[in-house]
Amino acid sequence: MNILVVVEHNGTVMSTATRSALTFADQLAQEVEGEVKSLVMGAAIQGVVQETSCYSPVLVAEGDELKFPVADRYAVVIEKCVRDYNIEFVVAASTTFSKDVVARAAGLLGGAMASDVVGHNLQEGKLRFRRPMYAGSIIATVELEGSPQVVTVRATSYPPATPKERTCEVSTIPGTTATLPDHIEYLALESKQSHRPDVAEARIVVSGGRALKNTEDFEKIVGGLADRLGAATGSSRALVDAGITPNEMQVGQTGKIVAPDLYIALGISGAVQHLAGMKNSGIIVSINSDPHAPIFEVSDYGIVGDVYTLVPEMMDRLNAR
Amino acid sequence: MKILVPTKRVPDPDQRVRVSSRMNDVDSEGMSYILNPFDTIAVEEALRIREKLGKDVEVVSIGVGGPGYEQDLRTALAMGADRAIWVESDERMDPWNVACVLHAIVKREKPSLVLMGKQAVDDDSNQCGQFLAAQLDWPQATFASKIEWDDQRCRVWRETDSGIETVMLSLPAVITTDLRLNEPRYASLTSIMRAKRKTIERCELHELGVENQPRVNLVHMESVSTERKCVMVDDVGELVDRLRNEAKVIT
Amino acid sequence: MPVNVPLTREVFGNIDSLSRGVFYVVTILAMGCFFWGIRQRVQLWRKGRPSPVSIDWSQLRFHFGQWVWSGRGRLKDRLFAGWAHRFLFCGFLVLLIGTILIAFEHYGAVLFSKDGSDPLFHKGLYYVVYEIALDSFGLVFLLGTVMFAYRRCRGHDSVKYHWTDSVLLFGLILLGGTGFFVEAVRIIHERPAFPAVSYAGWCLSIVIEQLGISSEMAGTLHFVSWWFHALLALAFLAMIPYTRMLHVIAGMIQLVVHKPSLGVMDPLLMEEVERTGRVGVGHIDEFTQLQLVQLDACVSCGRCQDACPAYAFGTPLSPRNLVQDLRLEMDRLQETNLSDTVSDERSEPEHIAETSGCIGSVSSEAIWSCTSCHACVDVCPLGVDPLTLISDMRRHLVGEGALRGSAAMALERMHRSGNPWGLPSEDRLEWARGLDVRQVTETDDFDVLYWVGCAAAYDPRIQKIARSVVQLLNRAQVRFVVLGPLERCTGESARRIGEEFLFQELAHTNLETLHSHRIRTILTHCPHCLNSFQNDYPQFGERFVVKHHTEYLRELMDEGKLTFPESSLSTGSRTVTYHDPCYLARVNGVVKAPRTLLDQVASTTGQAVQELPRHGAQTACCGAGGGRMWFDDTSGTQRSDSRVDELLASGADSVAVACPFCMIMIRDGINAKGESVEVKDIAELLVESLTHTTAQD
Repeated sequence: MNILVVVEHNGTVMSTATRSALTFADQLAQEVEGEVKSLVMGAAIQGVVQETSCYSPVLVAEGDELKFPVADRYAVVIEKCVRDYNIEFVVAASTTFSKDVVARAAGLLGGAMASDVVGHNLQEGKLRFRRPMYAGSIIATVELEGSPQVVTVRATSYPPATPKERTCEVSTIPGTTATLPDHIEYLALESKQSHRPDVAEARIVVSGGRALKNTEDFEKIVGGLADRLGAATGSSRALVDAGITPNEMQVGQTGKIVAPDLYIALGISGAVQHLAGMKNSGIIVSINSDPHAPIFEVSDYGIVGDVYTLVPEMMDRLNAR
Repeated sequence: MKILVPTKRVPDPDQRVRVSSRMNDVDSEGMSYILNPFDTIAVEEALRIREKLGKDVEVVSIGVGGPGYEQDLRTALAMGADRAIWVESDERMDPWNVACVLHAIVKREKPSLVLMGKQAVDDDSNQCGQFLAAQLDWPQATFASKIEWDDQRCRVWRETDSGIETVMLSLPAVITTDLRLNEPRYASLTSIMRAKRKTIERCELHELGVENQPRVNLVHMESVSTERKCVMVDDVGELVDRLRNEAKVIT
Repeated sequence: MPVNVPLTREVFGNIDSLSRGVFYVVTILAMGCFFWGIRQRVQLWRKGRPSPVSIDWSQLRFHFGQWVWSGRGRLKDRLFAGWAHRFLFCGFLVLLIGTILIAFEHYGAVLFSKDGSDPLFHKGLYYVVYEIALDSFGLVFLLGTVMFAYRRCRGHDSVKYHWTDSVLLFGLILLGGTGFFVEAVRIIHERPAFPAVSYAGWCLSIVIEQLGISSEMAGTLHFVSWWFHALLALAFLAMIPYTRMLHVIAGMIQLVVHKPSLGVMDPLLMEEVERTGRVGVGHIDEFTQLQLVQLDACVSCGRCQDACPAYAFGTPLSPRNLVQDLRLEMDRLQETNLSDTVSDERSEPEHIAETSGCIGSVSSEAIWSCTSCHACVDVCPLGVDPLTLISDMRRHLVGEGALRGSAAMALERMHRSGNPWGLPSEDRLEWARGLDVRQVTETDDFDVLYWVGCAAAYDPRIQKIARSVVQLLNRAQVRFVVLGPLERCTGESARRIGEEFLFQELAHTNLETLHSHRIRTILTHCPHCLNSFQNDYPQFGERFVVKHHTEYLRELMDEGKLTFPESSLSTGSRTVTYHDPCYLARVNGVVKAPRTLLDQVASTTGQAVQELPRHGAQTACCGAGGGRMWFDDTSGTQRSDSRVDELLASGADSVAVACPFCMIMIRDGINAKGESVEVKDIAELLVESLTHTTAQD
């Protein structure tokens, strides 16, 4: 059984999320006795190809037409690759790139697709995938009908793959760039002004409440932890009212409603107005000096203590790895 | 110009969703439903396009599903959609089959634009718009946070993990909406009453020449305990360890 | 001085018959001008929606008596301006009556072909009283105008002056002044037998005589100044319908038809909406006729603006500007009507495209900024009701789909889940965990229903209020029940935001529940729920006996059911103050009960009770009413800023509140300022005082 991993990269290096997809593909390959190949698309991507070859054999589709990750072209390339190499499983990390490109490819390949997979097993010869639904409040087990099958996996559910000792074979897919559609004109990518993701979109949100005394402390404590985790920052209404945080950061009934995988509430007491904005989060962690703070009632993990001492300690722990 | 806005009816995300006793569906007992929030944003955007471009823009809302869809299509009509098409079906349909239905409707209605939510907040698949664009071989722009009209093309700002990407699409096209695209208007009870005068056209799968061929079989469902039991940990080391190895939310 | 000289004076003395004739013509012209103007205005008012009018003359007497005699009425807040207005008004009134009497005398004399020197009744004692009264009130009138002029020079920024106002005021001063001048030169010219009865004019005449004015010169001066005075007076008469003086007439109408009830909103009928296709007011002529009269009654005095919490925070809302902007829009209605008889322009598509749905220069931000605190309604001397104007426009905006963002979300959640947070109904009793609370479904044996409300059902901070209330009820062995999961939001916020039909839906659901369990008496700690049961629900169903928890608890104390141990503590240095909720104090008049309870708390804990500068019915809004709680466009605590400053300035160590919204807003406001003043509901303080005394034992 042939497995194809669609590699996401920024032109120079492979994304860490793709390494998690490679782990998933490797596990799958062992279970169903398959073989993993990686597909790298783009222009001037030697570095990425070389890096990828440390994990699996690489198929390369290179050309100026593939310089930008435009969905219709990339999907056509994936489809061609799948057909040419008898691929039965297409795997990618669950990111906006693959939600856009790989899902479109799946549309060309018959629509057997499972997104956001967090676990899998082989039962009676059939693969079953576990994936979250209803903003993570339900985990569904699904089987896909037909072939090829397309799966995107959550990076947090599979550890990143480690490079193999020897580099693998690299081959170029011939003639892929000949007849690509051009309905989509790529104009620009404007990197985020804030280096952090948007609070309503982020997978992890670190949020601060009344315990934070001023903007500098908020940036140091909440912002610092958020950067260690690649998370967005949020805040309670109290801080917005006090002018410590800007309006768009507010999580709650009158702010943003968020449902990230992980929500870390630092010094937030947990007024209903705030709870209404984050109660659907996957895992909720609270740090608060008041052991009776209502926020603990909706949390999965809690520590009683001062955010000013506990959070820097936590950042050190995260750095240590 | 015609804009098609496919919508889905989803359980109210404010409510607790429970798994039914058969363990392969959610318990619909006492459940209230709403128009998928991302689709509501799509309806709003279509209305704004109409407000900007003028009266000759027609906004057609589409629903594919069982009884009850009528009510939610009324919400779209109350917001201001011109008419609605309800494809009645009691079967559970995965994104592929919904895309097939929409494909058939697109062929019949010949819209210039299909505008829909990036995902439905029940199954969270995030596939249908992309499938439809692939089937039609139309350009697509997913996760739109801003749409601007530029003659017969439109410029779309997309929210991606690496930043805001801008693309120019030639029409016809499929655009899926993200949270920040707009703030939908409130469909007041008065406007819902008024919308009763607008027509909802009903049709069935076979009339569209579509057969439901499942691509995804839902084998089992389990609730992730919503009743949270807070584990009080003693120190930060333990917390980081649990988040990494027990909850698996950080790497 | 011979005694047989008659005590009188000749009307129109020194005025030749040609002048008299001209005067008659000018008078007729001026009156024509006046009545034509009034007619125009009435026609304009009639463009509004007809509404039932019930005339209540006693209201006029009531208001008149209130501010003229007791001096405590609606003009209470501004002493100087109040008295200036009283002087001006009374002077004007008496002079007007005097002029009318003179006219009767004159035309009567003409009718009975009597000579000018032999009056019908303008003689003897009557004449003496008449002259003294007119001179006195002339002085009062002048004093009023001068006071206003002084006030204007000093400047008062809440009053919005138009340049015509200054012209008017100058004209009034001139009118008063020339009146006395005419009198003075007449006295010099005619040398009446007993000039002292017109004492002010007589004094002035002595001064003028000192300047060397002879009798003949005075005759000429009298003739000229008489004409000046007469023309000025007639000009004023003619100008009334076209200037701010119109408020005299519109205000009078407004006062006799005014309904002074606070907290009540007119219900909308779905059949009516279906028939007219219209919700609320989206165009000036959709206001009722009486509302249009109100717009003309407003004199721009700005009392409402001074009282408005939204204006104080710096939102685009000023109730006064709103009324004046609408008035301008009404004037425009007249203009379009005069220039173009095709009045169907509203059905043109461009009007439909203009979905902003606002009238004239009134912005939707201004409309959404209102906290419906009723301060403007309460303070207006002429009973103008900006709040209802706003509510009507809100209904239109909501109907047009102009509401977005978090307030829209709150309404949707009320619709779907029966509470503004969208939380499950089955969680409505979470707050009562571990307490002895029975649900209505569990027993028939109860005296009162405790209406908990959404905030206490779901907000962890407010839950403590409900827990305290229950502890006190149980202590007094009250047989009470709660609705638990059957309770729904009363819809109060929805109604105030302008979503009338969502409110009605919620009201019907709640009324059905209350009816099926035969509820008669309702107790609640939320003034907004209270107002809903008191003023909203009776429009759709039963009227209940509704008590705020402060009232109910005080009754329990009075009946001896709720007792507190004696404390021997002497008053310490700690102080507690009380913030009156608008919907409790101003709208529903509950002012004493919370204070009685607070005194009880203070006496057991040894605290001193301190009143805030703005208290009772004059309380200042926390900023959360009128559905403002659910808007995200301006951050919350800034809205309660001035009130929080007032609280902090009072130096109180803790603030007692009696409303969940006030609790949230005041607490957030105090916290945002980094202060540590405690905010507690009165029920919580009572419970604390119990433990306080047991600890003392």
